[in-house]
Amino acid sequence: MATSSFPGPDAGARVCDERGGFCRWIDERLGVSALVELARHKSVPQHKHSFWYYWGGISLLFFIVQLFTGILLLSYYRPGKEAYDSVRQITYDVDFGWLIRSAHSWSANLMVFAVFTHMFSVLFMKAYRKPREFGWWSGLMLLGVVMLFGFSGYLLPMDLLAYFATKVGLQIPSSIPGVSGLVSDLIRGGEQVGEATVQRFFALHAVILPMIFLPLLGFHLYLVQKHGNAVPPGEAARPESGRRTIPFFPNFLAQDLAMWLIALNVVTILATLFPWDLGKPADPLASAPAGIHPEWYFMSQFQLLKVVGRWIPGYLGEITGVTLFGAVTVFLALIPLFDPQTKTGNRGRLTAWLGALILGGMIVLTIWGYAAL
Amino acid sequence: MNYPTWDVPIIGSVWVIGLIAIFHVMISQFAVGGGLYLALAELKARREGRLDWMEVIRRHSKFFLVVTGVFGTVSGVGIWFAIGLASPESTSALIHNFVFGWAMEWCFFLVEIATATVYYYTWDRVDPKTHQNLAWLYAGTSFCTLVIINGILSFMLTPGSAWLSVAGTGQEASRFWQAFFNPTYWPSLALRSLVCSSLAGVWALITASQIEGPALKAEVLRWSTRWLMPSFVLMPLAFLWYLSAVPENSRHLMQSGVSTIGSGLFTQVTRAILVTGMTSATILAIVYFLAWRNPRDFNLGHAISVLFLALAATGATEHAREMIRKPFTVSEYIYSDGVRRSQLAGLNQVGYSTASPWKNAMPEGELMFRGQCMNCHTVDGYRSMRRLMNGRDRKAIGNMLTVLHETPDSSPYKHFMPPLAGTKPEIEALGDYLDNLVNKSPAVVVQYSKVTP
Amino acid sequence: MPDSTTTMQTPQRRDLLQIGMGAMAACYAAALGYPVYRYLATPAVRSRLESEITSVAIPQNHLPDAGAATMFLFGTRPAMLIHHNDGTWVAFDAVCTHLGCTVGYQPDKHRIFCPCHGGTYDARSGDVVAGPPPRGLKPYHVEVSDGHVIVSRA
Repeated sequence: MATSSFPGPDAGARVCDERGGFCRWIDERLGVSALVELARHKSVPQHKHSFWYYWGGISLLFFIVQLFTGILLLSYYRPGKEAYDSVRQITYDVDFGWLIRSAHSWSANLMVFAVFTHMFSVLFMKAYRKPREFGWWSGLMLLGVVMLFGFSGYLLPMDLLAYFATKVGLQIPSSIPGVSGLVSDLIRGGEQVGEATVQRFFALHAVILPMIFLPLLGFHLYLVQKHGNAVPPGEAARPESGRRTIPFFPNFLAQDLAMWLIALNVVTILATLFPWDLGKPADPLASAPAGIHPEWYFMSQFQLLKVVGRWIPGYLGEITGVTLFGAVTVFLALIPLFDPQTKTGNRGRLTAWLGALILGGMIVLTIWGYAAL
Repeated sequence: MNYPTWDVPIIGSVWVIGLIAIFHVMISQFAVGGGLYLALAELKARREGRLDWMEVIRRHSKFFLVVTGVFGTVSGVGIWFAIGLASPESTSALIHNFVFGWAMEWCFFLVEIATATVYYYTWDRVDPKTHQNLAWLYAGTSFCTLVIINGILSFMLTPGSAWLSVAGTGQEASRFWQAFFNPTYWPSLALRSLVCSSLAGVWALITASQIEGPALKAEVLRWSTRWLMPSFVLMPLAFLWYLSAVPENSRHLMQSGVSTIGSGLFTQVTRAILVTGMTSATILAIVYFLAWRNPRDFNLGHAISVLFLALAATGATEHAREMIRKPFTVSEYIYSDGVRRSQLAGLNQVGYSTASPWKNAMPEGELMFRGQCMNCHTVDGYRSMRRLMNGRDRKAIGNMLTVLHETPDSSPYKHFMPPLAGTKPEIEALGDYLDNLVNKSPAVVVQYSKVTP
Repeated sequence: MPDSTTTMQTPQRRDLLQIGMGAMAACYAAALGYPVYRYLATPAVRSRLESEITSVAIPQNHLPDAGAATMFLFGTRPAMLIHHNDGTWVAFDAVCTHLGCTVGYQPDKHRIFCPCHGGTYDARSGDVVAGPPPRGLKPYHVEVSDGHVIVSRA
């Protein structure tokens, strides 16, 4: 259960006792020590599933890497007509440009992976139950924004791969009934993917999505602070004496930061040893490269549409495919209401099975999607 | 040239050496540093009358014996097999020059391994002084093995002008000591000694993180992290010293990956150095903030992470060290493809294939490819010939081979590829072979690649 | 809160250790920040290298007729080549010495004029004639030989 009791009025004074005058001067004006006191009282449950508590933080780390490398890339990236050339410059001309760009690309993929891991671990640990429902809902929205980040960013280099993957990817929304036609044209900035598309995807990627993401993230983090880490049902059932906690500060924080360091190393090593290359420039007259596909985190949807389209051809097939995603998304959103804390635990077990089914389905579809290329 | 080159799919013969050698270095440098660790730990424990420490050291020495005595020894011998098959000419040159050095090395190895075994198995069965002396003996002989192999390895990068002046004359042995204590010997020894000390600490974290009692665990952990501390200050300095002693070309290669990752431009060294820097800084941070300041929370998982980071740092550095020697295996003397510099003019006159015993076993073009290209390139795997030559027609291939043969100053390949040896017909034959490989073979050429291996 | 096993150290030693670690960390942060510095500094470094150019050959098809001028780049700076009616050639750095705007040649008034604040320069010597510029335009050396024009530093 949550252990976030707010500190008393004179709690701050104790923090500055050891550190002296400067600390007190700051604290009298900014009240920082109250936060430190709060952090000192926080504790994190320790049990065999505690490992999964790190994944929200790891997702945050990857986001910070994206923010940092993204801003650096902004120094040289030019959207619109010169997109390809600017990325060529970054990759093959500017000192360490290849490193900044590769870190950005790899961290994007790792962030999506981390966010999915975080989501599924929250699902299986039932950390969406009261009072954490809004955490779950804001989390789902953040996941959606992250996938849009990925999709919009992927086009920006405007090489063959980016161009065709985006073309293929835009088939997914255009198969939503009522969306195709005008809305697709609005997204693309025309009937074909082109300069205008890059320009507006860039606006989406660098301005609009951050403006949506950051407050949502702030809300999400505020809720985590407010409610603390959830204890999974199996652990909650244990007697009070059997439960261990460790203080958030400095113990859990140190471990959290160690995980961040390791994640940062994974990004750097991948970016350095497997840097992101740049293909030939986008050419609408060229034929699509064999086996073109969107990025891995869209593969399950891509494959699902393909398979459903084969069994149920035509418009009906598209609607069926889209309805299936829709159903999964709606179910995920409604989980906190579907599975509140109950006496019998039947809903709980059902949710866990359905969650496993969704996760398993996504993995199977992704692998199948690659195999079927 | 005595062999048509060992054809290892996907990774190439070079990475057989690389994988075995990196594995070996992780363990052997643990052996050198760890030997001193055991000796000093035992000294401390006996002085302070700490039986609990003795128990920890005993467990650590068992771990030590198994890891170094089994995996260290096997991988060390494995290097011999690998280099003999992959680069027989260079190996031959090294043996001819350093056979006396290697004989010394094997004597030290014998004593070292025997001592380690006796040290572990006579625990509590001999008097303390003898046991301590065994530890010192191990530490000493182990360090001697480093002293010797360092001479041979550093020789390959900087043989030194004294030895080069007698190279190929049959009088090389007369300059044995100058070759041994060559320009990069001392900075290299400094660097490796620091690595040994660090690895002693890193491997010790594995044992220490598993200690049951929290107070003892904290004590041993903190004592172990001290073994890493000197390195973090001294290694950058030792590296700068090393940098000043390596050939000019090596410094050039270290920078060639700064502004680009262009295929065919040899950017690995820059990237390997970056990996080393990043992982080292991370090890420092984890060891300080977790092992030193919060030892009670330092668990086996953390220790294993540090070990993997150290492996990444070691692997990257050893890889970079090997790469900066390009285009030679022994600088200024033997090229990576086994051709001696002094032979080059002759081979261009009489033909490359005349020097090969496999002359009639395969077409000329293939013989040229296997002999001069396959030491570093595979067809479809590591440094894939097909991928690198993709997009070049027969004429472009011919132009490239001409540049490789004539090595004008403007050629970027001069820095990392040996000159192409052979007569004009032989080079034409190679061109035809490559053209067939790249443009006419049935293997699918990937249209676009997202990531450059 | 530091671990209770800090009893092994005296306060001074602990402070020294902390300072030492802080310094080391700063060094490593600097080392890791180095690629970022190089990344952001690339254009400045490159243009400094480029500005070390000592002469420029103006291509034939760029040469102005008598009484006209043409703009070109000398390294990274804009420059101007004027072909006077009497057949002489002059060249100047085209960055106004007032606030850095690029100046232009006005053939009808036979003068070099800066549109920003009205600075006026002599078209033969580059000296300031009127307006706010504090000093004249830097002249280049022009060499003409059988139809080719080479502009170099004076």
